[in-house]
Amino acid sequence: MNERDRKGHSAEHGPDAIVLKDVSFGYDPENPILHGLSLRIPQGQWVSLVGESGSGKSTLVKLLNALLPKSAGEITVCGEKLSEESILSIRRTIGMVFQNPDNQFVGETVEEDILFGLEGLCLSREEMDRRLRLYAGKLGISGLLAKHPGELSGGQKQRVAIVSILAMEPGVVIFDEASSMLDEESRNGLLDILRDMHAEGYTILMITHDADEILASQRVLALCGGGLAGDMTPAELFRSPGLMEECRLHAPYAWELSRKLEALGLAIGVPASEKELVETLWPFNCSK
Amino acid sequence: MAIQLQQVSYTYSERSLWRQTALHGIDFELPQGTMVGIAGATGSGKSTLLQLLNGILRPTQGTVSVLDITLRAGEKAPKLLPLRRRVGLVFQFPEQQMFAETVEKDLCFGPLNFGMSPDEARERACRAMLDMGLDLALLERNPFRLSGGQMRKAAIASVLAADPEIVVLDEPTASLDPVSRKELIGLLTRLCRERGRTVIIVTHRMDELLPYADRWVILDQGRSVFQGSVRELAADPSLLTRCGLAVPDSLRYWRAVADRLGLEDEEPRLTPEGLAELIVSRESGSSGRVGEKGTGHE
Repeated sequence: MNERDRKGHSAEHGPDAIVLKDVSFGYDPENPILHGLSLRIPQGQWVSLVGESGSGKSTLVKLLNALLPKSAGEITVCGEKLSEESILSIRRTIGMVFQNPDNQFVGETVEEDILFGLEGLCLSREEMDRRLRLYAGKLGISGLLAKHPGELSGGQKQRVAIVSILAMEPGVVIFDEASSMLDEESRNGLLDILRDMHAEGYTILMITHDADEILASQRVLALCGGGLAGDMTPAELFRSPGLMEECRLHAPYAWELSRKLEALGLAIGVPASEKELVETLWPFNCSK
Repeated sequence: MAIQLQQVSYTYSERSLWRQTALHGIDFELPQGTMVGIAGATGSGKSTLLQLLNGILRPTQGTVSVLDITLRAGEKAPKLLPLRRRVGLVFQFPEQQMFAETVEKDLCFGPLNFGMSPDEARERACRAMLDMGLDLALLERNPFRLSGGQMRKAAIASVLAADPEIVVLDEPTASLDPVSRKELIGLLTRLCRERGRTVIIVTHRMDELLPYADRWVILDQGRSVFQGSVRELAADPSLLTRCGLAVPDSLRYWRAVADRLGLEDEEPRLTPEGLAELIVSRESGSSGRVGEKGTGHE
């Protein structure tokens, strides 16, 4: 993935993909779900959104594309302020990939399903075909286009769902626990897709509690009780046991191991691999 | 023996053009009171195997013996009700099967259907709640008002309420957060160790079950390619790669440390705590490099 053929938001609107100013939401004003949230996500950043269930992650995502009405504050997506008039345009700018891809299939074939999303964009037939071939090729599903979505494995379905979203060429892509139903191989596959998308300049906001996904991202936003409890790098998060517990997260295995070693008086840092661990502990020249 | 499979095959749509064999000549024995992990890539036959264990599917070849009930291919099946009561099957996302207006009604539904008195059913429901680490106060609650982790535990409790001797779970931790996942595996381990249940878990996340399972069955394209202890599995994790599975981190780190130190006969240390203790005990005798070298992400 290296073509840069998506909307050139950065040139037109400056560097921020998402800006929230004092955003609140609640069904009951006494008991808001989100209160006074302010944050800024630059274009091209890869952000993990973490927090225990009920902390407001999904609410935040729904506010961003106006699936819920904010009660106060200001939301700007790719330079466009969210208002009655801009809702449709903003929804086109934000692509959403959900936990269960079955919930977003509508077509009889994979191809029909991907084209369905594009039909709402008033594109020419040639342009629709071009995007279909381009993104299906990028995600390795060109061979599946004639199949019925029901024939696909979980990992393949998730790829199709991602192609449907990317073909709409959004400025921001939101993944809502998109890997939680996948097997390990498919999870690794999704991580590769995210890395490619990041390299290509997509802004990625990912709700997740998977340690490997968090580690791969650039920045972590931790929500707790409807407010921001942390804004840090993944490394900083994995060094904060209190915050991890609050967000019900575990660190990757190597980090947990390193923390246990340190507690036992052996501070060797976090090994990048099992090979590095043994090389550090027992170099060959003095091996026993 | 809780479960014995002899030369079991299963073919879907056997008499049609679309016949598809999902399992080929499976043999295995699972002793009572053990904790068993079943792993395999998508399409390896895990779900089919699981449905053979309580008579939802009957073998197209071979013999399935569960407790004292035997299902033989081609023979008329015995009454399946006792089998259904004694083998509790927990499907993926069991909370989607909850339907009653209170947790208590949901939990009592199974026992009442299996012919228990209301008092007995309630008592079973309470015990199942405690087995799943849930507060009895939740019995009065609407199941759909529980948190995700609580709902999952309550749904598993509703299967346990029928007091099955064998509990079979399909991906019980899928889509839960890591802390809830660990809690749930801990509760299932207790159910096996303290209550003597045979617990069989189909999983995509071998990592979380590795420190607890007594035995593993690995399936690849409908065949059983490995059966044995964690120790045997840890001796050659490359088997997993050949079956299209990722080797869990805990197993990779253990293998690397064990290879370097020549720990052939040791029980694998598969938790970060366990491995850290072992490393420190081996490290203390060597030269004073401790704390000198910072590597990796630091």
